[in-house]
Amino acid sequence: MNSMTLTAGHRSSHVNPIHLGSLTRWLLLAFAFSACGLLFVYVKNQQHFLGEQTRQAERSIREVRAHNEVLLARISALSSRSELQRKLDQKFITLQPIRDTSIARLVPPATAGNDGVLRTAANERLSP
Amino acid sequence: MRGKARVRAAIACVVMALIFTGFSARLIHLQVGKHEEYTALAAQKHSIRLTVPARRGLIFDRNGEILATNIPVRKVVVDGSHLNNAEALAALAAPYLDLSEKALGKELKTSSKYKVLFSDLPEDKALALQKAMEKKGLRGMYFHQNTTRTYPNGPMLSHVLGFLSRKDPEDEHVVGVEGVERSMQDALCGKDGFRHIERDRTGREIVIYRGQEQAAKNGLSVQLTIDMGLQAILETELDNACKELRPENAIGIIIQPKTGEILAMASRPTFDLNQINSAKPAGMKNRAIMDMLEPGSTFKIVVVAAALNERTVNENTLVYCENGSFAYGGRILRDHHGYGQMNVHDILMKSSNIGSAKLALMMGDEKFYEYVRRFGFGERTGVDLPGEISGLVHPPARWDKLTITRMPMGHSVAVTPLQLAMSMAVIANGGKLMRPHIIQSVKDSEGKEIQNFAPEVVRQVVPAKTAEFVSKALMEVVTERGTATLASVNGFAVAGKTGTAQKVDPRGGYTEGKYVTSFVGYLPAEDPQLVCLILIDDAKLSPSVNYGGLVAAPIFSRVAEKAARYLDLTPASRAEALLPVAMRQTDPTEFRQ
Repeated sequence: MNSMTLTAGHRSSHVNPIHLGSLTRWLLLAFAFSACGLLFVYVKNQQHFLGEQTRQAERSIREVRAHNEVLLARISALSSRSELQRKLDQKFITLQPIRDTSIARLVPPATAGNDGVLRTAANERLSP
Repeated sequence: MRGKARVRAAIACVVMALIFTGFSARLIHLQVGKHEEYTALAAQKHSIRLTVPARRGLIFDRNGEILATNIPVRKVVVDGSHLNNAEALAALAAPYLDLSEKALGKELKTSSKYKVLFSDLPEDKALALQKAMEKKGLRGMYFHQNTTRTYPNGPMLSHVLGFLSRKDPEDEHVVGVEGVERSMQDALCGKDGFRHIERDRTGREIVIYRGQEQAAKNGLSVQLTIDMGLQAILETELDNACKELRPENAIGIIIQPKTGEILAMASRPTFDLNQINSAKPAGMKNRAIMDMLEPGSTFKIVVVAAALNERTVNENTLVYCENGSFAYGGRILRDHHGYGQMNVHDILMKSSNIGSAKLALMMGDEKFYEYVRRFGFGERTGVDLPGEISGLVHPPARWDKLTITRMPMGHSVAVTPLQLAMSMAVIANGGKLMRPHIIQSVKDSEGKEIQNFAPEVVRQVVPAKTAEFVSKALMEVVTERGTATLASVNGFAVAGKTGTAQKVDPRGGYTEGKYVTSFVGYLPAEDPQLVCLILIDDAKLSPSVNYGGLVAAPIFSRVAEKAARYLDLTPASRAEALLPVAMRQTDPTEFRQ
């Protein structure tokens, strides 16, 4: 009986009390550390994600720009003098004479003399 | 018993401590001692310096027509350390690269980190292949930005524009090696940028680890003085002449005499700038500045202008032309027709060899040589094109006894076609020699002018009065009395001079039956807007008709007529109404500089 009482009394005297204050502090500290860690990982992931988006956007811009340049080069090739000449020779396009009445001149052309030799330089063979 | 246990525990502790100390030491060795080495190794594996290529500047004509532009292409590069399935990649990529699967598979068996497979894969093909690779999870093949030069007009203006080539077969960079591409290389090429990047193990860039970066500085655009309308006229006529006359070479130049701007320049044979590999060396030479030849009678303007300016003769002085046969230095110098007494005006108009020789003899070799040099012969014109030669004019100390009689008629001297055209421009421009130029301005990518090339007077060769006198004589050359009736243009007064010279044999002497015929003239004679030179080398014609007045003059006429129409020049009266005033009304002292 005595020994039992003694044992019980000994146990109660050795129970470690829970210090809620310090426990909370440590838990908060641990939470803060883990939150920082998670935040760091989140920010890092976000950076990678944005970096990937940047890369994709840059790639798209590059592709559009390159496509634009290809088209510009194609336009200059198709509208080049030699290409137009080829189309003219193959009769895809034709040249229409501009009537003298449709030409506005800053310098009035000299009219033909009595001998009929003097002519305006423009459209002399195309005038009706 | 308890003691033994303690000893064992102590030994275990020591062993554990040693093990962890070993690990720690190794860790410190790796992290600190080997830091530099492993950082460099990691950087070598994952970090690269990516070149951002600068876009080469464009070339325009004076009206903004594009003459040289760029097409974006991709450079296909293989990194052997990134290949995850070479066989599958070969099977996938072979059709895009126009290679057999076997050949591509062989190419992909590489440990190189940078092996260029193609330098100019079309953009659309590269993008399609890139997407197909991403879909199948293949890696190790990369598509870097690149450009290829293209010339929308193909063979037109090829000698002036020039082309690009690798400076060194091992070097991927291309540089201009001919024409404007070469002379304006520094302005056109721009400056490549760079970016330090890191890649993950799949080869994809990790954007957040981008390092130092420098944007590419695109090349500047160059605007030429060339007018493609006139160029097309000139080239069409040269092509027609080549079909008809089958000459060895044909050269044409159109110049604005008051500014020295080159409006058109063409040589035959020619080549296609877009098919440079099939071009023949003979066709790639810009003969307008790289060929030298004896000019023939077109050179007579020099001796006439010089003799008048030095007051050796005046407009009334009569020179006896020996009835067509002049014995000098043990050789006979002949004219095509026998002439008696002639004044300088008629000497030029009738193109008398004997008259010209006598003018030079009267003037003396030193003075004549001085004028030859003043007209720009024997030195480079300074045109902004590479490879120009200076021609060949020996100083009087190296002349033989016949040179004084041969040089005035365009023999014993070698000139470039451009020098010849510029000498005529001196007469058309009131005696001023302009520096010929082909670059009008340099502009940035927004079209803002960075540099402008203004006309430059080299020197006043002869006074305006002398030039006017020579001009009036040259106008008569193109009338029924002169040697180049076929050079006339309806509605315009034309001034010019024919030239016919026997072709020089490279082995010495002259080639029998081969002639270089030329006509150089300008219009409107009263207010010259263009100087045009047509030169035909060895037309396949009978010697009896192989003359400048019969071969080159009609080509000049066609070019000049079309050019006048293109430029919408207002015709004046006919040439007869612009005959020179009587020379006795002028004061001889006015011809002196």
